Amino acid sequence: MPEYAIETEGLTKVFRSRFTSRELRAVDDISLRVPVGSTYGLLGPNGAGKTTFVKMLLSCTHQTAGRAMVFGRDARETEGRRPIGYLPENHRFPTYLTGHDMLDFYGALSGVDAAVRRKRIPELLNLVGLDERAHNLRLGKYSKGMLQRVGLAQALIHSPKLLVLDEPGDGVDPVGRKHIRDILQALEQQGVTIFLNSHLLGEVELFCREVAIIQKGKLALSGTVEELTSGSGYRIEGLHVPESLETELRSRARSFTSNNGSLQLLFASRGDANQAIDLLRSNGCEIESLGRTRSTLEEVFMKTVEPQ
Amino acid sequence: MNATSMNATLALVQDTFREAFARRIFWGFFGCCSALLLFLMFIMRIDVVQGAIATITIFGRNQQSTDVEALVQQTQSVIAMILYFAGMALSVFASAGLVAAVFEPGRIELLLSKPVSRTHLLLGRYLGNVLVVAANILYLVAGSWIVFGVKTGVWGGGFLVSSLCTIFIFSVLLAVLVLIGVLWDSSAVAIMVTFAIMIITPILAQKATIERLLSSEWSRVVVRVLYYVLPKTSDVSLIIRHLILNQPVESWMPVWSTALFGAVVLGLGLWRFQRRSF
Repeated sequence: MPEYAIETEGLTKVFRSRFTSRELRAVDDISLRVPVGSTYGLLGPNGAGKTTFVKMLLSCTHQTAGRAMVFGRDARETEGRRPIGYLPENHRFPTYLTGHDMLDFYGALSGVDAAVRRKRIPELLNLVGLDERAHNLRLGKYSKGMLQRVGLAQALIHSPKLLVLDEPGDGVDPVGRKHIRDILQALEQQGVTIFLNSHLLGEVELFCREVAIIQKGKLALSGTVEELTSGSGYRIEGLHVPESLETELRSRARSFTSNNGSLQLLFASRGDANQAIDLLRSNGCEIESLGRTRSTLEEVFMKTVEPQ
Repeated sequence: MNATSMNATLALVQDTFREAFARRIFWGFFGCCSALLLFLMFIMRIDVVQGAIATITIFGRNQQSTDVEALVQQTQSVIAMILYFAGMALSVFASAGLVAAVFEPGRIELLLSKPVSRTHLLLGRYLGNVLVVAANILYLVAGSWIVFGVKTGVWGGGFLVSSLCTIFIFSVLLAVLVLIGVLWDSSAVAIMVTFAIMIITPILAQKATIERLLSSEWSRVVVRVLYYVLPKTSDVSLIIRHLILNQPVESWMPVWSTALFGAVVLGLGLWRFQRRSF
């Protein structure tokens, strides 16, 4: 069993104009490792190269350089795609098919036997929250949220080991997103690797253990959500702080707020925070709370992608 | 071909039929074919006298008495020619959309993500498209062959064989649609190029006359090269006529050279599809 579900080395895609010498490096030398069984989020602003990266994993787009492996097999091999379930962004499912027929079609292409499809299709449609009526309704009549759900069901039809989801929450209401998240969490429990490409940073933060941020085709940052959001600062809230001490602490703190006798201080280092605690205690002040600051994934993302 | 591969092929063919049904393409053809069959069944009456001479009655008016076999063969060749030229033009027009639909963004990515090779995907769609048109051609030809057989007792097989030639020419023109579709994603351009071939090739079939009219040798060479390279739709139509009329076919060169053209064009389409990024 390979250690990584997805492994890329120096993956690069350069789009060249047919008529001019202009070229665009959509994905530039990205090396990424997604461990088997992990929940991994791929983030980046519009045009960062996320979708091109995903398309190279699925061999929809041919790389200019580097290599992409899925469970140890070259992603360009037909059989290499067998363990992958994929939900594309801006999908255009055949509107003439019913939900049931669509799953039957993509199931057959995924190599699922007819007998297995017959049993599995109603189960999956129910799992993603589509009622009996929707099973035999043409996709042309589906709402955006219903299309996302049936799209997820089609990605699951062959019980994939790796699920690649491009904006799965797009067009789905908060209740629906929670439902999709629950399904994905259940799959994670079963050991399915989930690779999520999403703009919804809150969703990614809630669901993914690891993330990578792509900026202008390059890998800008990667790591566990825990590591990336753990802040470098320390926050202390003291009560009844004398004015002279408050002045001194303010000069040492990175930032502060004072409100109704409560002083909130933010220190850059553990040493500064400890000194402040000593001063507060030696002056008989009470400490209401103290802790390490945390950033949201959105703050990490903005810090990474915003121009310096 | 293993069972998994066979399942995928069947799914692709079935999907093409479903799309043809949804776009009313199949039903449009089916309606036209059925109308022609009804015409043959109810409007045209053929009275066979003494087993050899017949009187044909259309809309209740008697036409000239003639040899029944010749009459049937002539009528069948007219139907075959209508099918060959008008039916072919309609088929090309209708099929262009079916080919281009596969390359739509949001649809092609999902197809390519499946464990099916690109060649298999495109050939599956191609086969489905050929079968959609073939089903209607066979329905019309076999239907009218039965009508003529029942009414006159003439059961010549040439008319049935002619339908295979018509399907063959369509499959060659469909290869052109596929190539243009892969290259430019445009059903309009694909239709224009295919129609251009359908218009130019009957003109090129008159190459002997054209060459006499041309003054320079190089222009004669160009005409000759174009004639041999492009499909010979006009020459194949003559072969169909010969087959129906039970006349010997002088040369099968138009058939095999057209097949070669189709194979090369389809091969180019597959090659380009393999290399293309979506």
